[in-house]
Amino acid sequence: MSKQYLSRGSADNAHIVDIFSLAITDKQILSTSGASSIKVHSTTDADFPLVQSIDGAHTIGCHHIVINGNGSRAITAGFDGEIKAWSCQDGHWTADRKLTADLTGADAWAIAISEDGQYLAGVTQEGRINVWDLSADGTRIRDHETKGNFGTCIDLSPDGRLIASGHEDGAVYIFSTETGRMPFSLLGLVNPVRAVAFSPRSKILAAAGDSKVIVLYDASSGEQIANLAGHSAWILSLSWSDTGEYLLSSSFDGKVKVWSMETKACVATHSETDKAVWSAKWLPKVGKTEGFATAGANRSIAFYREATG
Amino acid sequence: MAEPTIHNLEIVDGRDPSVQGFIDSTLAALIHELSRSPAEANISITLKRRASPIACIINPTTGALEASPRIDTYRKYSWPGKTAHEAWKFTVILRILAILDQAIRTGQLISKRDIYYIDPEFFRMQCIVDRIVDDLAYTIGVNRTALNVEAAAKGLVTGDFRLIRGSHILIDAQSVTEDSLIPRIEDGDEIDISRVRWVLVIEKEAVFHRLARISYHTRALAGEGIMVTGKGYPDFMTRTFLRAMSDSATNQSRPPPRFYALADGDPHGMAIMSTYKYGSAAHLHQNARLSVPRLQWLGLRVSDIIAVPEVLGDTALLSLTMRDRKKIMAMLRNSPVWASDGPEPEWRAELQRMLVLNLKAEIEILYGCQGGLEGWINRRMFRQE
Repeated sequence: MSKQYLSRGSADNAHIVDIFSLAITDKQILSTSGASSIKVHSTTDADFPLVQSIDGAHTIGCHHIVINGNGSRAITAGFDGEIKAWSCQDGHWTADRKLTADLTGADAWAIAISEDGQYLAGVTQEGRINVWDLSADGTRIRDHETKGNFGTCIDLSPDGRLIASGHEDGAVYIFSTETGRMPFSLLGLVNPVRAVAFSPRSKILAAAGDSKVIVLYDASSGEQIANLAGHSAWILSLSWSDTGEYLLSSSFDGKVKVWSMETKACVATHSETDKAVWSAKWLPKVGKTEGFATAGANRSIAFYREATG
Repeated sequence: MAEPTIHNLEIVDGRDPSVQGFIDSTLAALIHELSRSPAEANISITLKRRASPIACIINPTTGALEASPRIDTYRKYSWPGKTAHEAWKFTVILRILAILDQAIRTGQLISKRDIYYIDPEFFRMQCIVDRIVDDLAYTIGVNRTALNVEAAAKGLVTGDFRLIRGSHILIDAQSVTEDSLIPRIEDGDEIDISRVRWVLVIEKEAVFHRLARISYHTRALAGEGIMVTGKGYPDFMTRTFLRAMSDSATNQSRPPPRFYALADGDPHGMAIMSTYKYGSAAHLHQNARLSVPRLQWLGLRVSDIIAVPEVLGDTALLSLTMRDRKKIMAMLRNSPVWASDGPEPEWRAELQRMLVLNLKAEIEILYGCQGGLEGWINRRMFRQE
């Protein structure tokens, strides 16, 4: 059964170069790009207006932004190697200088933040996984070794118990946050992994990348549950819907796909651009309808809503 | 090809009186100081320092990478100096001044390599000679050729051009079938490229030879063209030649030929392309007369390779090394060419995509694509028309 998602407008040319990362709160979408500013657009207004531009956030651009569950804290990772913290009050973002200073020298390429905003996990260009406690002056509390290959992506499970990382050599690792050990090893992918994401109830880990398939793992055993094939280009990002019923994926050829977890099949494909979609994220539900946002090399943020009735 | 050590070419004109003046007054001052008592003598040479590459801008008028307006700084080298190193540096400068003095007096052209090989043990490294010659030229306020210092020819060219000096044709490349060394361009020379539709600047010598061997410059879908390579980072002669062609394109009445750059999709390829178009950070004062603002980026982009599935073997794409990543970060951070408000947002985006994907791509990958490298260039030139 296919679903229909209709274009609900876009923030055109939100950035002057590629948008690399999106992060969502209840009412806003934050985007970072090869330009130096972080842009904040409202998702509650029909025309998605720009409500704030945090200029000069990262001089040579920013490749990752993550936000905690209640949307009070954001962490960004810049091309200059700097990790910065931001806090939100009444919809307005300001630099969290204390936490940014605490995180000086923190080494990470890809980053993930825990649901409650207390922990930041990062994977380095050498493939090391670090965890920092943001409520304890950014102290590094974990330091996991992998087999030393570029860490392209990382995720923390919503229940806070697991960290997963994806690497350039196709490896996928899972660590227990409690013990700091790998509970089991995963059969990785053949080609570079570019996205990993835990399902909302932390039961499933999805991983994808240059192999063009999405691999679903049982997060409690490491067993492969399914392979979702259908993309014809490298997969760059993954996002789970609130309920875990749908998985969103975006790829290098500009395609965005929605996958049903019930049928393990693709239920919708969008291709508004032929340029890389670096990031795709589900938006908060409006009533019963779900929607998502996409952004990438075409420099705009596009919004979609499920067609109803 | 063997390179003659000293060229016995008479310099007819272009001798800059300020050069002889500088050398004479510097040497005279030294002799005067030497005649004083050691306690009072101030035996030193002062050179103007070239701008640091970090403090540079893109000049909107010339489209070249230039030093931002600033107060000049000077460095004084004294004899015997505070350290043995300073004493040696002083004698190196003095020695080079003497060599240049002789070259100018006898009207001989000399290359930096020639100077180094006069006494390699004394000069220690080629780059030391290079730097002092450049500093001297900058201090006097002339370009290097005014010191009678000529770079050894490095670049290659093939295609249909004519070099006109005075009223006669010095080179008619139409009658030259093979690729040849780039000719030295003198003030007042004219280049006629009215018979070609494009000029392709190629980063790598091997790629140039591959295209020259199949006479791509006469067989391209886009019509006749000229191919040039500076074999990596281009030297002054290559850039001077390219600029002369670009100026000639500006002056011609018909639609000018297009200028394209073909470089590897890696930080060095991008930096080399930037050197052709905007100039080099090491020689900011030369860039205004050597930059080629009309140069367009033909490739190679990392996305070009990802989008061509049939060439995607295991070896097609390479991971960036840590050095590559550091070089990209330094380019993004330091050069106005890649600045967020700079002239080349696409170049900036490409460097960032490389970092995100951790990938680079070499031109040689295209040998295996449909129609080979030449087929790819045909399609790409057509798309950019």
